Amino acid sequence: MKKIKLKDKIREGMQDLFYIWKREFRTTFRDQGVLIFFIIVPLVYPLIYGFIYTNEVVREVPALVVDNSRSSLSREFVRKMDASPDVEIKSICSSMDEAKQLLKERKAYGIIHIPSTFSSDIARGTQTHVSVFCDMSGLLYYKSILITATNVSLDLNKNIKISRAGNSTNRQDEITARPIEYEDVAMFNPQNGFAAFLIPAVLILLIQQTLMLGIGLSAGTAREHNRFKDLVPINRHYNGTLRIVFGKGLSYFMVYSIVSVYVLCVVPRMFSLNQIGSGSTLFLFMLPYLAACIFFAMTASIAIRNRETCMLIFVFTSIPLLFISGISWPGAAVPEFWRIVSHIFPSTFGINGFVRINSMGATLNEVKTEYQALWLQAGFYFLTTCFVYRWQIINSRKHAFQKYREMKKKSLEKQ
Amino acid sequence: MKREFRRLVSRPLYLFCMVIAPLFCYIFFTSLMSSGLPTDLPIGGVDLDNSSTSRRILRNLDAFEQTAVTARYESFDEARIAMQRGDIYGFYYIPNGLAQNAISARQPKVSFYTNNAYLIAGSLLFKDMKMMSEMAGGAVSRATMYAKGATEKQAMAALQPIVIDTHPLNNPWLNYSVYLCNTLVPGILMLLIFMTTAYSIGVEIKDQTAREWLRTGRNSIYISLAGKLIPQTAIFFLMSIFYNVYLYGYLHFPCNSGILPMLFASLLLVLASQCCGVIMIGVLPTLRLGLSFASLWGVLSFSISGFSFPVMAMHPVLQALSNLFPLRHYFLIYVDQALNGYSMVYSWTNYMALMLFILLPFTVMNRLKSALIYHKYMP
Repeated sequence: MKKIKLKDKIREGMQDLFYIWKREFRTTFRDQGVLIFFIIVPLVYPLIYGFIYTNEVVREVPALVVDNSRSSLSREFVRKMDASPDVEIKSICSSMDEAKQLLKERKAYGIIHIPSTFSSDIARGTQTHVSVFCDMSGLLYYKSILITATNVSLDLNKNIKISRAGNSTNRQDEITARPIEYEDVAMFNPQNGFAAFLIPAVLILLIQQTLMLGIGLSAGTAREHNRFKDLVPINRHYNGTLRIVFGKGLSYFMVYSIVSVYVLCVVPRMFSLNQIGSGSTLFLFMLPYLAACIFFAMTASIAIRNRETCMLIFVFTSIPLLFISGISWPGAAVPEFWRIVSHIFPSTFGINGFVRINSMGATLNEVKTEYQALWLQAGFYFLTTCFVYRWQIINSRKHAFQKYREMKKKSLEKQ
Repeated sequence: MKREFRRLVSRPLYLFCMVIAPLFCYIFFTSLMSSGLPTDLPIGGVDLDNSSTSRRILRNLDAFEQTAVTARYESFDEARIAMQRGDIYGFYYIPNGLAQNAISARQPKVSFYTNNAYLIAGSLLFKDMKMMSEMAGGAVSRATMYAKGATEKQAMAALQPIVIDTHPLNNPWLNYSVYLCNTLVPGILMLLIFMTTAYSIGVEIKDQTAREWLRTGRNSIYISLAGKLIPQTAIFFLMSIFYNVYLYGYLHFPCNSGILPMLFASLLLVLASQCCGVIMIGVLPTLRLGLSFASLWGVLSFSISGFSFPVMAMHPVLQALSNLFPLRHYFLIYVDQALNGYSMVYSWTNYMALMLFILLPFTVMNRLKSALIYHKYMP
């Protein structure tokens, strides 16, 4: 037997790697299904989502007023509520029943009830209560109406206090109104935009999900085209595990580096979302994220036996993954069990890290935990992918050998 | 029908999609948000005053249900970096000399910062910190008034003449689980119904058993389709009964109309989703394309049904388009029936829309039949 030197083995490995890389690349671009998942879906989905949430905030929520007081003060209250950007007073109803009926017909989402003693209570110096009834079909409606009512009442309270205090200077008026001044600053997404909050997470999740679907699709196709329904074709070049894993991984990585640039840099710019991260931080962060996603998808794709089953299994996981990531539901409030489960998926760390870099301007130092976790995941899934593919290579060799033996037996019998 | 039953149990894929995945999602969503409202969200405190007043402010802030002062920082920058790291969702900044300036009526200024990149956490913390700031100012005035001899009632009336009483109808706990799960859970079921229906029809074309299927239905597309879909309807309806009982019976979510209208609505949703699945595979007989169409429609339904971001606030084109998604109509029926307890008459447009979905497949029947007979599977 010719002694095979390590140097020769490495050279052979590199040649095979490039062969597999080129082959996988070609398969990706020839296969319409994979092309849809790798190119068209990341192209189109962000545009659709951006369009849906493009208004970002809820303005002019229709509300009704039942004004039993009908004094100038109550009219001032109603006027100020109408003037605010978040609420629009649709009509002033004569009774609660009429207002309730309009609520049933979906003409408005809230009722503001001003009691008949409103003005007289204030003049007398007792507290008066304004009731706000809100339809809870949307929490954004509730938030708009409540915040507006609160702000208007604070404003009126301030004026009442000043008029009662009988101060001599303007400065005294200011101090009476607010003994301790306060200022609220909304850092990062100051306009409370819904798109700026949700879309970055959706974009990162989209990368992971399309990778899972695309790689699953090509794995299922490879199995269908294979004679023994094996993942790895019987080919001289597909002998070593590392070359298969690296070859396939590199081709996906190449395609996805371009896709990521589009999804993470161009799309937010198109929809004027907050983008205060630095490019180099983002680039360094995306390296382990893409690697982790690719290897995770390659490990998961072993379960796919047919071309289309990947869609049935992976698509519905998108919604739970979005919730478990800590964006829609605050991470601090996620139960411990689900938090541990979420560590399995690269998207959890990816989403948190990306939101911090992109919307909060964090540097790599601040996303240290996510960054390290992603590298760990990339390494772990790389090992599992190698293990899985090694197992598949052994299986395919076994099947080929069995078939060879059967055919030999048959030809011997014929003779 | 018997043929379909045999097909359904032959592959574990069907069991996974129709039973295991929905069950997992039911349990996942309800347990994820089981606390209803997030409690004890971490915030930080930057206290440069260190007086008893400032310490009292931070202690009171910690006492709020949704807020927990988990860390103290020495400067604004430290707190900001902690926010960027994700340790805290906001922080309260108390400048030097607060107590002194407040007593001497020099109007000191506190500020609070929230991280609105996490919108839900930011909004809840904003509410609590704003209330705290108002109360802090009020405490100073109240102390002065008590000293001057006012009673508590007089003091409160002087400090806050107009009080806002909020009455969130039918969800007074502001329970996020009630708000989200009631549409998420049927939505996941609907997505799976889309995909399973499209898959079960498309895979017949792929495996070239479509002609045999038509023959068992005596060459009538209606009988064949009914035979295939009715067992699936039964299973999916069972799953929907299960989630209705789980949500309204076990978890006691508000169900002000009784469980029967909700069961009826679920049945309509199941049938409408199946018919949508039929249309999807009828329009695009290739299995892969039909499934992509189904997953696109299904995942978009979650956003466009308007339970998180209201449809009213979307672009007018989208407001019209939202009517093409069955989940939107189910959501509106749910709001009217279970959440608010209005009679069924108020959502009759939505019931009609769902029944229209059920009638739609008749338009693609011929195309589907010719696809079953002639279409060659192209990967």
